[in-house]
Amino acid sequence: MLRQVSYAVLVGLVGAGIVHIVILLRLPAFSERDAWSNLAARAPLYQVARISDRPGAPALLQSPDPFVDAVACRFDLTEGIAHLSGPGGVPFWSASVYDRNGQNIYSFTDRTATSGALDFVVATPVQMTEVRKALPQEFRASVFVEAPLEEGIVVIRSLVPDESYRPEVAAFLDGIACRSVLPEPAGLD
Amino acid sequence: MPAAGRYPGGRPRCPSSRPMLRTVSLAALILTLAVGGGALSVYWALGAREGVGAVAIGPWVSFPDLGTPGADPYSKARIARQGLLSLGLAEGLTFAADRDSDGRALSRDCRYEIEGTFPPARFWTLYAADASHRMLPPQGLPRRPALNSLEALRRQDNSLSIAVARQATPGNWLAVPGNGPMVLVLTLYDTPSASSAGIADLALPAIREIGCDA
Repeated sequence: MLRQVSYAVLVGLVGAGIVHIVILLRLPAFSERDAWSNLAARAPLYQVARISDRPGAPALLQSPDPFVDAVACRFDLTEGIAHLSGPGGVPFWSASVYDRNGQNIYSFTDRTATSGALDFVVATPVQMTEVRKALPQEFRASVFVEAPLEEGIVVIRSLVPDESYRPEVAAFLDGIACRSVLPEPAGLD
Repeated sequence: MPAAGRYPGGRPRCPSSRPMLRTVSLAALILTLAVGGGALSVYWALGAREGVGAVAIGPWVSFPDLGTPGADPYSKARIARQGLLSLGLAEGLTFAADRDSDGRALSRDCRYEIEGTFPPARFWTLYAADASHRMLPPQGLPRRPALNSLEALRRQDNSLSIAVARQATPGNWLAVPGNGPMVLVLTLYDTPSASSAGIADLALPAIREIGCDA
C-alpha cells in the first residue's frame, strides 16, 4: 500500500512538472490580459491612443516613467504596410515595435531618423521586397522596420523634462499619424 | 481463497470494490498532484521577484532581456500575464533598487543619499515607486518624487549627490511621501551601455542610508 502511494506521488510530481512546462509555454498565447487586449479596449486598430499612466487603469508600460508621455497604435500587416509619421521637434522620442504577445521586436530613437522627424514603416519581409522594387515617393526618407509578424503594436515615447514642455510634447504625440498603406507601384517619371 | 489470510477481520463483502477504490483514489491523487502542483508552481514562479536574467550592479537590478524574444520562458509568461510593454534596449535601460548599498530594504521613513556618477546617456530619470514600479503619489508634498538629469545639479567633477528624504533638502531633493517600503527606479535613455559594452561593467551610484525618523 505504502509503495503504491509513494509511486503515485512520484508519478503525480512528474505530471506536475509536465503541467508546469505546458502552462508556462502556452500562457503567452492564452493570456487575455495582455497588452494587445488592453489596447484594444482603448482604441481601434490604426488609431493612435495615449497610454500615459492613469491612476486606476491597468498599467500598460513596464516601469511607467513620470517624465515620459507615450502613445500606442495597433497595426495589422495583412492589410498593408504600417506607416507612422509625425512632426518631431521634441527633446527626445523613441519608438518600439512589439509583436502580438507584447514582446519588443525592434526599437530605435530619434537619432536614427532623418532631421529628427518621426517617419517610419513597418513591413513584413515579403512586403519589404515589394516596396523596395519601386520605392514610393512618400517613403523616400522613411526608416524601414522589417518585422516577421502580422499583428503588432507600435509605442512612441517622448520625454517631458518639465511641465513647460508638456504642450509641445502633447502636440507632437497627438500629431502622429498611424495608417495602413497598400504599396502601389511608383510611376515611371 | 489465497487472499483470505490478508483480511483478519473476515472477508470483505464485495471482494472487487477495494482494489478498484484504491485505483480510483490513487489516480485522483496523481491527477490532483499533477494539475494542482503544476498550476500552483507556475503561479508561484511568476510571482517571485527575483527572475532569471537579472543583472545586479550594487543595489540596482535590471532585466535587459525582459520583454524581448530572447527572454526566458518565465519572463515571457510574466510579461504576457501582466500585459506590460517593456522599454526597448535601443531606447533605454531600467534599473530598480529596493535595497540600499548595505543590503537593507529601502523605507520611506529613512533618509538616503544617492552618490556617485551616472553612466553616459542622453538623459536619465529617477523616481520613487511602489512595488509595481508606479510612481508614488505626492501625498501633500509640494513636488512629485521624481528627478531627471536635466534638472539635477552636478559637482565640478560631474558626480552627483541626491537626497532621498521626506524633508526638503538643498541641492538635489527626491521628495519621498508617506510611509512604508519603496523602490527607486532609474532609467537611462539612449545609453551606449545598453548595447555593446556589457551592462555588468556599468558603474552606478551608491545608495547610502543617512538616518531614520522612526
